[in-house]
Amino acid sequence: MTLRSRKYFVKETFNSIKRNQLMSFASISTVALSLLVLGLFLLMVLNANNLAQYLENQVQVTVYMQDGIRDDTVQAAQKSLETMPGVVKVTKITKTEALGRFKERLGDQVRLLDALGEDNPFPLSFDVQVDQPGRIATLVPEIEKMQGVETAKFGREVVEHLFQLTKILRIGGLILVSLLAVATLFIIANTIRITVFARRREVSIMKYVGATNWFIRWPFLLEGMLMGFLGAVIASLFLIQIYLMLQNKIYTTLAFFPLIPSWPFLGYLTLFLIGIGTFIGAAGSSISLRKFLDV
Amino acid sequence: MLLMSGVSKTYPSGAVALRNIDVHIKPGEFVFVVGPSGAGKSTFIKMLFREVIPTTGKIFVDGVDVLSLKPNEVPYLRRQLGIIFQDYRLLPDRTVAENVAFAMRVIEAPANQIDKRVAEVLELVGLRSRADNYPGELSGGEQQRVAIARAIVNDPLMVIADEPTGNLDPETSLEIMNIFSEINKNGTTIIMATHDKTMVDYMQKRVIAIEDGYIVRDEVKGVYGYDPEE
Repeated sequence: MTLRSRKYFVKETFNSIKRNQLMSFASISTVALSLLVLGLFLLMVLNANNLAQYLENQVQVTVYMQDGIRDDTVQAAQKSLETMPGVVKVTKITKTEALGRFKERLGDQVRLLDALGEDNPFPLSFDVQVDQPGRIATLVPEIEKMQGVETAKFGREVVEHLFQLTKILRIGGLILVSLLAVATLFIIANTIRITVFARRREVSIMKYVGATNWFIRWPFLLEGMLMGFLGAVIASLFLIQIYLMLQNKIYTTLAFFPLIPSWPFLGYLTLFLIGIGTFIGAAGSSISLRKFLDV
Repeated sequence: MLLMSGVSKTYPSGAVALRNIDVHIKPGEFVFVVGPSGAGKSTFIKMLFREVIPTTGKIFVDGVDVLSLKPNEVPYLRRQLGIIFQDYRLLPDRTVAENVAFAMRVIEAPANQIDKRVAEVLELVGLRSRADNYPGELSGGEQQRVAIARAIVNDPLMVIADEPTGNLDPETSLEIMNIFSEINKNGTTIIMATHDKTMVDYMQKRVIAIEDGYIVRDEVKGVYGYDPEE
């Protein structure tokens, strides 16, 4: 491709978009919308994965004791917990403390507890910190065998639920996103087909005077790619806004929730969407051009 | 310049357009292709620039085997040919000069050569003063002259015209014919399918008559040979 042809192609591309404003607008919006949905799913799936990983890396086990056991059993349990390999710290939480924590969490609705009367249903428990998450799987069964221990809980159950959730998100997202990608592809292909159709006279004249297929193809290909690119940029701007807003909300209300830090995460996401958008644009134009060039 | 041997064309519908045609046209010749409607003239013309591919036979243009070209080589064949249609086929949203320049741009000619050459050919067809007009502002004869200018701007070996005066009155047709004559004098081969009895009889050039897919006549200084109504 020579330099002067390149200039000609760029000019033709912009002229064509200008001539077909409405269709171009429709295509760009469709790309933007599809990629926005794709992006939202990605945000959800990636964050759910991140959360699962975070929980897996938790190094805390909560050991609940049976109700009504004797103090020396409790002390013995604490002793043996402290001497277990990998255990860093053991914190005892008495029944009263557990009730206090719960009351704190209830806040305004603390009167709900009135129904309990003088009873305190909370068991005595220990928070056990270990040095690395890998130990937990072997420690828990041992702890559960100890005298006076009711059960030992750690993040695994949550993680397993979370994995199920991310799996659903991933599969559902993949299906939805593929459908959207195909729809986008067809809409771009259709837009290009309309612009080619409007210019079929020009295309046929080009063929009669000996233009190569690539010479004819470039302006349309660039047009499709530009529409895909613009759609992706719009989708990315929205996504970045949404994510930053969510992040703000979550940090003020659910401070512990481990969101993926916005940078460079959002940058990669933007690049990814732009790549997909541009590719879909190029593919869409190629599909619709194949028929027209076959003269 | 052009060699056709044993060329036949049967369309998928079963219609037979040409049957075992042999034609030899030398460089610099001016040839009319005549015959009743549906006789196979159009098929004959379209085969020259490989818009229609024959069912059997061989076609050589300037020694190149047209039928063995790969699809991506066809544009280079067409660059050797100037093609002119009855309906002019100009781009309405471009000026006369841009329409002619378009043919050069497509073959990626240098910009400084384009302006010079476009002015030259517009001079040749007598439309220099109309360079900045749009096709819609021109008469039919003028539009066809723009189409001729576009066809010859890349110095083709052969000009192929399909009913170029079909939409024009006799006086304008004569003007157009004179331009073709000029082009032919410069050594360009011209092959023209036409229904225009007056022009064919007036020009006294070689005439190939096709009827029902056969060449029924091939005369060096021929006449149209049909009633104008046919």
